[in-house]
Formats: sequence, C-alpha cells, structure tokens
Amino acid sequence: MPTRRQFLASLGAGIATASLARALPAQQAMRGMNTGTANVPMNENAYHKVELPSRGTGPSMTNVQRDALEHKIHCQCGCNLDIFTCRTTDFSCQVSPPMHRDVMALVAGGYSGPEIIAAFVKVYGERVLMEPEKHGFNLAGWFMPFVALGGGTALVVALLRRWRHPAAEPERVTELPVNATSDELARIDQLVRRDDA
Amino acid sequence: MILIGELSLWVALLMAAWGTTAGFAGAYTRRAELIASARRALFAMCGFVVLASIGLWTALLTSDFSFKFVAAYTSANLPSVYKFTAFWAGQEGSLLFWALILSIYATIAVYTARKSNRELMPWVVPTLSAIALFFILVLCFGANPYARLDWIPPDGRGLNPQLQNPGMAAHPPNLYLGYIATAIPFAFAVGALITRRLDAEWLSSVRRWVLLSWFFNTVGIVLGMWWAYVELGWGGYWAWDPVENASFLPWLINTAFLHSIMVQEKRGMLRKWNVTLVVSAFLLSILGTFITRSGVISSVHAFSQSEVGYWFLGFLIIAIAVTAYLVSTRLSDLRATAELESMVSREATFLFNNLLLCGIAFSILWGTLFPILSEAVCGTKITVGPPFFNSVNIPLGLGLLALTGIGPLIAWRRASVRNLRRQFTGPVICGVLVGVALLAGGMRAYYSVMSYALGGFVLATSLQDFQKGTSARHRMYGEPYVIALFRLVARNRRRYGGYIVHIGVVVLFAAFAGLAFKKEFDVTLRAGQTFSAVDGFGDHWTFVSQGVSDYDELNRHTTAVLLEARRNGKFVGMIKSEKRQYIDSQGNPTFEPATEVGILDKPHEDVYTVLAGVIGEDTAEMRITFNPLVWWVWYGGMIMALGGLIVMWPQAERRRAQAGYVAPLAPGFVHAEAEAVS
Repeated sequence: MPTRRQFLASLGAGIATASLARALPAQQAMRGMNTGTANVPMNENAYHKVELPSRGTGPSMTNVQRDALEHKIHCQCGCNLDIFTCRTTDFSCQVSPPMHRDVMALVAGGYSGPEIIAAFVKVYGERVLMEPEKHGFNLAGWFMPFVALGGGTALVVALLRRWRHPAAEPERVTELPVNATSDELARIDQLVRRDDA
Repeated sequence: MILIGELSLWVALLMAAWGTTAGFAGAYTRRAELIASARRALFAMCGFVVLASIGLWTALLTSDFSFKFVAAYTSANLPSVYKFTAFWAGQEGSLLFWALILSIYATIAVYTARKSNRELMPWVVPTLSAIALFFILVLCFGANPYARLDWIPPDGRGLNPQLQNPGMAAHPPNLYLGYIATAIPFAFAVGALITRRLDAEWLSSVRRWVLLSWFFNTVGIVLGMWWAYVELGWGGYWAWDPVENASFLPWLINTAFLHSIMVQEKRGMLRKWNVTLVVSAFLLSILGTFITRSGVISSVHAFSQSEVGYWFLGFLIIAIAVTAYLVSTRLSDLRATAELESMVSREATFLFNNLLLCGIAFSILWGTLFPILSEAVCGTKITVGPPFFNSVNIPLGLGLLALTGIGPLIAWRRASVRNLRRQFTGPVICGVLVGVALLAGGMRAYYSVMSYALGGFVLATSLQDFQKGTSARHRMYGEPYVIALFRLVARNRRRYGGYIVHIGVVVLFAAFAGLAFKKEFDVTLRAGQTFSAVDGFGDHWTFVSQGVSDYDELNRHTTAVLLEARRNGKFVGMIKSEKRQYIDSQGNPTFEPATEVGILDKPHEDVYTVLAGVIGEDTAEMRITFNPLVWWVWYGGMIMALGGLIVMWPQAERRRAQAGYVAPLAPGFVHAEAEAVS
C-alpha cells in the first residue's frame, strides 16, 4: 500500500508527463519550419503584409532606433532570429527582407515603435514578438521562475532552520563538597581508572 | 565489413535484451551465474555495437550510396574527414553514436567497479543494459542507419555546409560524451536505491562519472558556441535556442551536484538532494534528446523531425515513474546524519548555490517549454526568445557569481566573524574598487558593472587562496614560488582545480558583460566605397570595400567581399566574408547558400562581418559588428576545462586523505566523524 507521499510523487510525475504529452500535438504546426542544420526548407509563405496609411509626418525614428526595433520582431521563416539579424545573415531568406520593408514603410509613415509592434501583432499574432507580452497567461511565463526561486528560497531557509541545532555547549561541572578523606578519594580514583582500562 | 556491422546491430540487440533480463532476474533472485552472465552480455553487447559502428563508418568512407543514411548525409566529393564526422550528422548515425559511447562507458564502469560496490553492481549492470537496449531498439526499429534505398543514386545529397566545420566535427561528440556519462551515475543511483545502500560508497563511484560528464559537457558547449559564432553568422555565440538550452540543463545540474556532494562527504547532509540531482541530470539528458529529435519545439539546429522523439518521450515517462517510485520509497534511508550548526557556513552557502543553479535550470526549462504550454492552455503561439532568458537569468547568474567567491572561503560548520573578516576583507575591497572605477570611468551598463565588480571579488578570493597556500609552502619547505604553486595545485587538485574552474567562470562572465557594448551596422558598399564607425571602446574604424568576387572551389561556388580595415587611421588587416553555394559531384547545387563570416579577432574585440547579399556585380550588403571580449569566452571555457581536468586527474588516496577530501567509505563514517568533532 503506497504511502501518501509516494502517491503524491507518482501523481505529480503522472500529471507532468501527461500534460507534456497532451501539449505535444499543439506544436505540430511548427514542423517543417526549420532551417539551419535541420535539412528542412524554410517556410517561405510565412510573410504577410503589414501596412498602415501614412501619417505624412516624416520618419518616426532614426535607422539605429529602427534596427533596435527590428531586434524585437521575430522573423517568421522558422529561424528563431529577429528580423534584423536574419535579413543581415541569411540572404536566401524570403521572409525577413519584406518584413524589414514593412517596418521601414511604417517608420516612414510616422508610426512609433509600440504602434509598429502592435501592427505586426495584429497580423501575425503574438508569436511575432521575440518575448511574450506581460499580460494574461504570459505572466505565468514571466514570473514562474521567480516564484519558484522564491519558493525554493523559503524552503531552503525553512530546512536550514529545522536542521540548525546549535552545537551543545559543554556541560558545566559543579564541584560539590565531598565528605571523604584523601585516601578514600585516591582509592576511588584507582577503581575508576581500573574500570576504564 | 558493412554486412558484419549490420548483423552486429541485431546481435547487440539480443545481447542487451539478455543482459537486461538475466541481470534483473539475477539481482532479484541473487543467482550469481545469472549476474555473471548479464555482465558478460554487456561486454559482448559493447563489442557488437563497436562492430556495428565500424560497419557504418566503412559505408560512409566508401560512399556506399545504397544505404539511405550514407546517401542522405554525404556525397562523393565530400572531404574524407567530413565523411567520418557525418556519422553523427543525422538522426540514425547519431543514435548509433549514443549507443556506442554508452556501451563503452558501461563496460568501463562495470569493469572498473568489479571489486567494489558488490551489492550495487548486480543492479547497475541490468540498468545500463536496459538503457542500451532502449537505444538499440530505437536503432533497429525506429531509425536504422543500415536502412537501404530501393535504388542506388549516382551521388549522395551531401553534408549540410554548416556541418562542414571543425567545430561541428568536435562539438557533438563532446556533448554526447557529456550527456551519456550521466547514465552511469543514474544506474548507480538506481542500484543504490533498490539495495538501500545509500551511504557514501556509491557516491564516490558516481562522482568521477559526474565530473567526466561535466568536463565533456563544458568542452562541448564551448565548442558549440564557437561553431555558432564562426559558422551561423548571426553574430553571437548563444541564442537561447531550445537545443542549446537542452545541452545546458544537465551541465547546470551536474555543477550543482559537484558542489552538494562535498556537503554530503563532509557533513553527511543533502543525501536525498544528491540522489535527486544524479537522477535529474540523466532525465534532463533524455529530455534534451527528446527536444532535439522530436521537433516539438522549433529550433535552428534540431535533427530532421521523426517519430523517434516519441520513443524518447516513452522512455522518459518510464524513467521518471521508476525513479520517482524508488526515491519516494527510500526517503527514510536518505535521512541526513548530521545537523546544520550555523546559517553562516559553507554548507549553507552551497545550499544556496544549489538553489540558484537549479533555479536557473528551471527558468531555462520553463522558458523552453512555455510556448508549448501557452499553446495548449490559451491556443496562442508565442515566442520565448533571448530577451526573456536574459532578463530572468542575468540576476540569477550574478547571484551565482557572488556565491562562487563566498563558498570556497567560508568555513565549514560555523564561520566566525574573525574568519569572515580575514577571508573577505581584501576581496570585498577589490570588488568595490573595480565597481567604483568602472562607474567613475563612465560605464553605465549596470549589470555589466556588477558583473565586473563581482568578478573582481571572486578573482581576489581565488588568487588570495593561491597566494596564501604558495607562501605557506615557500615558508615551510623553502620551495621557490613557482614550484610551491605547482605542488600546491598538484597535492590538492580538487580544491585548486575548483578554483581554476571559478577563474574560468569569472572570465566567461567578463566576456558576457562585454556584450553590453556590442555595436552593429547594416551597410551597403560598392567597390572602393568607405564606411566609418566608432566601436564600444571609442576607436574610429574605417572599412574600404575591395569589391565582390566569384570563384569556384572544391565542392562549392563562392561569392566573397573583401574589406580593408583601419583603426584610428592605421591599417589592421583585411576581412573576407563569403557566401558559399555547395554543389555535388554533378555540379548541381545542394542546400541553401551558407555563410562564412569574416572575423578580425583581437583579445579585446572582434570585428565580425557578414555578407548578407550582393546587388548588381560589385555592391555588397553587409553587417559589420563590433563584438567585445569574444576571445574571453573561448579562453574562459578553456580555463574551466583545464580546471576540470586537474580535478579529475587521479590522485593517490593517501594524498587525497591528507588534503581532507577522501570520501568516507564505511557506512556511518560521516556520522562518527561529525560526533567526534562536536
């Protein structure tokens, strides 16, 4: 008969593995999207145009700021890189150059960084961002490591406190008045020593 | 030879099956002849896996394109060295490589432990055979490297150009050597849990294998970083790619174990924790293999996806269930035999070190799997990229760096104020001075400032201990300082090897902190045109394009751009970056064009150029990046590996005992020691 602890451990392991197995089909759509060493062709149809009417106010940012903005947008060719890095690395990529052109058009149209990001999210969904936005379920993604670390710290401190037993201080020996002669004391001492030996 | 190899794989399957069955039956019934038979079956299995591997290498080197694997990963004009390394370039070959290393490791582990661990070994042998059986089963029925084509093509598809690099020839074997070494401690842990012999004896056998795993993982990860940097062309060495993360997880757990085992050896504490770490390192290796091979997570360098990943998922589930059961039913045997005396002690510091290492491992695992979880829960596809991992892990890494300095110098049991003052006054002053100097010099990247200040502190703690030990030897034995330093390290390899690893960690953190000053430019240059820029150190650079050239080489057509580089007006070198279109022996293009980056490397900074495209005949689109302190990554890695080698180097028991680091072998020894001291 398993103990409660064994049961909970088995249950935990079961739930974790079952939830992983359940989640697997969700990523199947990602298959075939790899480049690099995977010998799998990139997804060249992943590009969708992102456009907004020009405000006619001139460019909203410098080229350096635009490059920094492109570091926040995920190239959709399946490479795991941002569009700045992908377009300046892989000249066979069919996706990052048009995405870059869309960014340039939006910058020229006077749109700010957050507005451009929002426009991309509207077309591609959240996966176009290099990091999840901090809202809803994503908060679990952002804060869980710190929650786990906090929990771990609390556990470690609790364990340390439980384990902590100050080294016992040596017992104090109180000398009591002894009602015996020195000969008697010497005889007792000899007996004790003989027993010890 | 190829036929012998093919048949050997099937015989190895039978041997592994017999080793597993007879081994478990023999261990359970305590029948010596079955136990001995299982051991011999394991040795025989190793021999047949070696033959199977030689067979595949023969097929690769002789370009026998009747085999699907050979045709898929080599071509007739592929250089021989890459025909040899193509063994681990594809799914099937790399799985055979796993089985090869595992069976060799298992043979060495069983042979070397034949006179010790007598109670454990009957369970260790079938556990290792069972793991090998799983891999050979996958090979025979899921990804057989000896699968044949219906017809023989005139040439093979060739090896992916990105794998035609010395880094890629060495990186995977080292990672595999590290990954697979975790199977040996796992088997010992299973044996110890089943037999309930959870004293220090099994740990002393396990520690060497964990060190070996840690060493090869370190070398493999650093080689992988180097390969990514020089070959992939995106300008960095670590992208928090799922496969990179998967390789990092066992390393973190092994590092945690190598610290916490000292607490068990010295104080008899953390026994449950150490078993958990040993088991986790192996399970994370399998999880990493599952991630790499299943395609469940998008990664730039995953293997082509197949159903093999689900074999690993099944194996992972079984392994988790078995170990969870064993650990949960043996908790009472894993009770600590000593008590903590003070929160300000080395054992408490090591506990926090473990907390941070496991916290980092958790955050990486969480970030890697979160896209799957998010899609399963919300139906939303998201990307968890470098910004997430950096923001979560940089503070944790800095905390770990601080503990790297504190841990080794704080006293065991209870640190007195005097001990703290004596050990830490100098290093703290050193760290503060570094931080203040950088702030005064205008550095405002606060994480970098903290990293350098903590690096100064850790370096000072390590060097201080070297200095004290060397001076003591010089005073006591009259040895010259260099000899004294050499003997100090040689006589106490574990301690000073560890310090050398810590120095390597400091160098690595210094390199990582340098990334804050990275600068990159997107430029278009016609022949003769000039581009000027200022780097993170304030130096003025000028680049003059020498034009674009096209030419053919052995198995590729190359487009190259050459830049003349000048720093502060002085010529420093030419930088060539290329795009290569690989072709087969018929002249047909294979794969997509590959990048060959141009790097002008100096100790303080790399100038990194990538040819992104060509407009017309002589206009190059390029990215020019100033990457500070990249050399330090490679040197930091080398220093860590050197430290690991020093720690691993065998040392006579007598000397180890003198150094105070011999593992207590008799059950209850630690407890007796603790009592004697108190």
